[in-house]
Amino acid sequence: MSELPDYLPERIREQLFHDPRVAEQDLKVDVKEHRVLLGGNVSSVQLRHTITEVAQELLPGYEIVNETTVVPASEPEDEEPVC
Amino acid sequence: MIRIAAVGDLHYGEGSQGILRPGLEHLPDRADLLLLAGDLTRWGKPEEVQVLADELRGVPIPMIAVLGNHDYHCGHEVQVRHVLEGAGVRVLEGEGTTVEIDGVRVGIAGTKGFGGGFRGAHGSDFGEPEMKAFVGHTKMLSDHLAQALTGLDADLRIALLHYSPIEGTLEGERLEIYPFLGSYLMAEAVDNAGADLVVHGHAHHGSEKGRTPAGIPVRNVAQPLIRHAYNIYTLDGHREVLAAAARGIS
Repeated sequence: MSELPDYLPERIREQLFHDPRVAEQDLKVDVKEHRVLLGGNVSSVQLRHTITEVAQELLPGYEIVNETTVVPASEPEDEEPVC
Repeated sequence: MIRIAAVGDLHYGEGSQGILRPGLEHLPDRADLLLLAGDLTRWGKPEEVQVLADELRGVPIPMIAVLGNHDYHCGHEVQVRHVLEGAGVRVLEGEGTTVEIDGVRVGIAGTKGFGGGFRGAHGSDFGEPEMKAFVGHTKMLSDHLAQALTGLDADLRIALLHYSPIEGTLEGERLEIYPFLGSYLMAEAVDNAGADLVVHGHAHHGSEKGRTPAGIPVRNVAQPLIRHAYNIYTLDGHREVLAAAARGIS
């Protein structure tokens, strides 16, 4: 597996997607020096924490900055007539 | 007026308890039907869909679903379907079903659908066996969709998909992945068979609203996009009933 800096973010993104604890395809991963920036949408606060833990396992010596957003799932305010 | 609640891409995992349930509290007062547009799980495990099934069980309106690509990942799609059906959710794949709401027959034809791309840039079933299988799968499911829609005896007809039938509801996604997000073959099937609404998911970064080339409304209800427990769309079913009656008289 490549450790070249140009390929590292995609490798981490792929490993997060294939980790059954995460399985989240929408994550954005950027690596600068020894900082990993995570972005995108997640469905729960718990999943957000899990993503940080799994990313830390994948890159033990790196600082993990998790900027993912928890998507709200509240009731809609209104309805749309379509036909 | 028929009120359709719809959401897709819930991506339930074993720790997802309670994500949807609060949003379902008033659903029976606000909608006549709930459509689930696939990717109900993260990995397609029966344990994952059980969490969702426990939240849906007892919701007193008809619930109809298709599965998405995530629901196939572990190869347990049959068990996933059984768990949903055990909670009262009718799961469609190349099939149709009809529910009667206030005297209006609402028909839903459902399929996961698949990718391939869009007009002018669609893959062909040519070359390697893998490419033939990829495009062949889309063609087969699109044919099944057309047959299921045509077979509905209903006043209103809805196509329920996971993959997108049009580019319009993909705007916001990266162009490079359009072929993995949908196929125009499903729009062609819908336009040929006729429908009043198409609902799909899969495109988390796409757009909510679009139309098929023939003008049928298409709504992308991927939960990360709509950012609600569901969206509600209303259809004037009695207008369709009166129109059908008028056609019968003439």
